[in-house]
Amino acid sequence: MATETIVYDKIKGVHKIPLEEFYTSGHRTCQGCESATTMRAFIKVAGPRTVVTGSTGCMYVANTSYMTTPWIVPWMHTQLGAGGSSAIGMAAGLRALKRKGKIKDEPINAIAFCGDLGGGDMGLSGISGALQTDYDLLIIMYDNESAANTDIQATGLSTYGAQTTFTPPGSKHRIMQKRWKKNVAGMLAVGHPTCKYVATACATFPPLDYMNKVRKALAVGGPTFIHTYDPCPKGWDFHPRYSHEIGEFGIKSGLYPLFEIIEGQVVYTYDCRKTAKGRTPVKEFLEAQGRFAHLIPEDVDYIQKRVDDMWEEWDIPGVAPIKGVLKA
Amino acid sequence: MIKRVEINYRGIFQKNLGKKIGSDIVIIASRMGRIGFSNGRYSDSPERNGIPCKYFAFVSHDLSEEELEAECGAKLDIDQCDISVVLDDTMLKGVEPWGWHGVRPINEKVQPNGTLLVVTKRTPDELLEFIAKKPYSWKLATYSGDLSFGGLWVFRDDLTHEKTLGAVAGIDSDIIGIEAAEGYLRYKTPKEPARAEAARLAYEEVRKTVRTVKPGEGVEWKHEIPVLPKWFEFMEGAAVPAVKREFSLGPKGQSRNETFKRGTTKNQRPVVRFDLCTKCTLCWLECPDQCFDQTDDGLYDIAYEYCTGCNKCAQACPVKECIVMVDELQFTDDSSPWEAYKANPEKYTEWAEDRKSTGRYIHPMVTGTGLEFLEGELVPFGGKRASPKK
Repeated sequence: MATETIVYDKIKGVHKIPLEEFYTSGHRTCQGCESATTMRAFIKVAGPRTVVTGSTGCMYVANTSYMTTPWIVPWMHTQLGAGGSSAIGMAAGLRALKRKGKIKDEPINAIAFCGDLGGGDMGLSGISGALQTDYDLLIIMYDNESAANTDIQATGLSTYGAQTTFTPPGSKHRIMQKRWKKNVAGMLAVGHPTCKYVATACATFPPLDYMNKVRKALAVGGPTFIHTYDPCPKGWDFHPRYSHEIGEFGIKSGLYPLFEIIEGQVVYTYDCRKTAKGRTPVKEFLEAQGRFAHLIPEDVDYIQKRVDDMWEEWDIPGVAPIKGVLKA
Repeated sequence: MIKRVEINYRGIFQKNLGKKIGSDIVIIASRMGRIGFSNGRYSDSPERNGIPCKYFAFVSHDLSEEELEAECGAKLDIDQCDISVVLDDTMLKGVEPWGWHGVRPINEKVQPNGTLLVVTKRTPDELLEFIAKKPYSWKLATYSGDLSFGGLWVFRDDLTHEKTLGAVAGIDSDIIGIEAAEGYLRYKTPKEPARAEAARLAYEEVRKTVRTVKPGEGVEWKHEIPVLPKWFEFMEGAAVPAVKREFSLGPKGQSRNETFKRGTTKNQRPVVRFDLCTKCTLCWLECPDQCFDQTDDGLYDIAYEYCTGCNKCAQACPVKECIVMVDELQFTDDSSPWEAYKANPEKYTEWAEDRKSTGRYIHPMVTGTGLEFLEGELVPFGGKRASPKK
């Protein structure tokens, strides 16, 4: 394969998106899988000079039925909690090979992806370690709010109140998912001053936003981290045709804040504060999905209150749950 | 003697339906003093939306429970069956549950004199235009019903389950008897006589519709049993060859995974009116299966053998009537729609409108705790459109 230069330019309009696929058709994902769109988009804009590892999860199992794969770029499976460590290994290996002259000294993107269980719960320490290095790597956490590969078990990133296999609503206990969604992107940004770029994104909303964030992260070098929000038609229980719209609902309602942090500066890519674009009621987002069908109005009010609190009370909305400094 | 029933269903949407039919066959058989056993096909897990999956139910008159279980326990697939139930008639176009399998005929496991039992609104003769021929005679029976789609958490209670039990009893009383099925349903739901009545009606219906299919009747179907690579044939480090990189504008310009096409996941497909297209790229951008190929005139061709019928392109398309989902049984091939349009635009548009008029895809959708939504012109969602677009 001829060597190609990597392009990091901002994509200005859907007609400028590269046409060639490097994650192609023929994978065993669900109908309307949003995570497949996430995979496709990041590798499309990263280009062919990229190596990818993926930890166990939906996007590993669905993409590697026995001896068959939709990947065109080199891709390797790694263990469930090993998203971060495999990213370091890959980036360090590439650096060593280049230093020793075994391969040409040219930029090669190293991207690791992991699910919300593999990245946000189990592999968090590995990712934390990776973000403290100086290697050029990008870690993408695709968050479908459940262990979707094994039929939808709750994780630390499932939305409060959601029905999952682990948290079925019952007559005595309506809400079993009592944990509030873990803020992984904010946690990693606040805790890792060496991390050059942290962002949250959604593959389809706002259009091009995710693709440009991937390009920005790759251009910065590393270590970088992107958290994507992937509505899952199977586990969130909606018709596959809505998968690109549910994410938009979640972002517009403020439940899922979209931001990027570059060199310590927070930029809201969809600003839900009342002084900016404002928010739609979370009810619209919740009622579109079967996994919230058991909620009663009080639960919705509670979620709404916490979302309002996040956007209006926090010092850095969506990033750090801190409401100012106490005077001594 | 073991009687084998396989239940072909669409992953997730009919998971609860398939499981319920399998387990109720076992319960009814055991109420008749027989031994039953039911399980899912091991290789189907984890299930994905729409992918063809199977449940099995086994009934024996003479074996003990242990012997039956030893005979029929977790297996990749069974070799043959007495009854093959098909819960979605679009699966008659073939099933491809995993890579390397190729598109298998739906009646592959039907044994000589076995029965293919289909929920459909079509006649057996219409269905035979899609089903593979066999070297021996077998039977085809239908019972009418809507496509019953639920979700991961919900079972869509529209009597398809009861009808299927009645239909199985109508085909082979050695599996379950209709009186036992009715008795069980009356015992289970004493206040709902409609359930037992639905079973009886389906029982009578299949006894009328069942017809023998002669050897050689049906369509030619090229399908070879897949030979998977052995462990010693693997590349170093158990590596799998990547898809070869190829890209050019035009139909099939993008290289794709040849060993798993998964087009049998769809029960509907997008029909495009190219003359209405504004070349906005949204269908191509939103497609999670990368089915759209850009052509040199800016239109997008569709690789139907990879399409999963998820509706996203139709939902994303901003032009009314440009992309419409149409029932899969309206189509006989996966040829390029763009090439057909280029060859004769008027004829293609006329053909597309014809498909839309007869097979526009409408089915009610059930979500969460069983709320049902009917599709109107645009889909209402709790009284509102799901799209935030105004």
